[in-house]
Amino acid sequence: MQPDGASNVIETVRAVLRDILGLSEARAAAFDDTTPLFGALPELDSMAVAGVLTELEDRLGILIDDDDIDADVLENFGALTRFAIAKALG
Amino acid sequence: MIDRYDWAGGQEAMLRFGPLDGPVVVFAQPLFEEANRTRALIVSVARALARRRIASAIPDLPGTGESLVPTRDVTIMMMREAFEGAAARFDREGRETYGAGIRSGALLDPLALLSGRWHLAPVDGARVLRELTRIKQIEVDHSLNEFWYLEGDTAIESGHSPVAIAGNLVSPHLLSELTALTPFDQPDIPRRVVRLDSDPEPADVKLPGPPLWRRAEPDNDRALVELLADDLTAWVRSCEG
Repeated sequence: MQPDGASNVIETVRAVLRDILGLSEARAAAFDDTTPLFGALPELDSMAVAGVLTELEDRLGILIDDDDIDADVLENFGALTRFAIAKALG
Repeated sequence: MIDRYDWAGGQEAMLRFGPLDGPVVVFAQPLFEEANRTRALIVSVARALARRRIASAIPDLPGTGESLVPTRDVTIMMMREAFEGAAARFDREGRETYGAGIRSGALLDPLALLSGRWHLAPVDGARVLRELTRIKQIEVDHSLNEFWYLEGDTAIESGHSPVAIAGNLVSPHLLSELTALTPFDQPDIPRRVVRLDSDPEPADVKLPGPPLWRRAEPDNDRALVELLADDLTAWVRSCEG
């Protein structure tokens, strides 16, 4: 699946967080732009971040330079989806 | 039952499931942390195969499970030779033997005499190395160059001494081996590639389910277990003709 629009990317990010962190469907579905991530989700430790980034690369067909990842990108769901949209849709 | 098998470098344990005759599926578990995350899935699929009257084995390869070989001494070639030994055990009994490589386990079966290979979400060695490098970068909290594991980039690990990644000591030689490895795929030799439907890479079949090999905490998925066991069973029976 190559996402052809921002909403597809957003749903891919949501599915990756659900799958990697083992979140329930309902919990992941409730994520919005302001939902805090790193530091707020106990499941999202630094190792899980590696899994999330790699799975995003696979599903979106992108390459993420780890130097691009800082606390701001992982601050909340909105920041992570904006980052993914910029990478996937350029 | 717990059994043992011989290979050129010694003897290792393997779990066996199912009937004592007929075809045997020998599982090749993923390398490194993904082995822990997929252990429950693989054992569940083996039990589900047994319920379908298909035998299977899960060998501990050198440096994994109950093996006494230190992880720092393990090479890909050793793991391949050991997997060959596990498969040969059943071949000598006159049983058709099939490989089931899970993720990077698909890199470990090329030497074995197999009637076919079933690969779940196979991944090439360069990809595995990239993931390990990412994990190491998070551990040391700075960027690493492409050959960090050979160059002592992490300051405390220099030259050819083992490097620590997520608590395991790994040989730089093994990491070098990874760069060129791709899953076994030769014309006219039966191979089936199974992927999850979230995976954009090509496959013979795509199944719904979570990528448990990336899950932060080891987990299992009963529905995925049954789908995988159904697919493996149907494929083995089709190969058996």
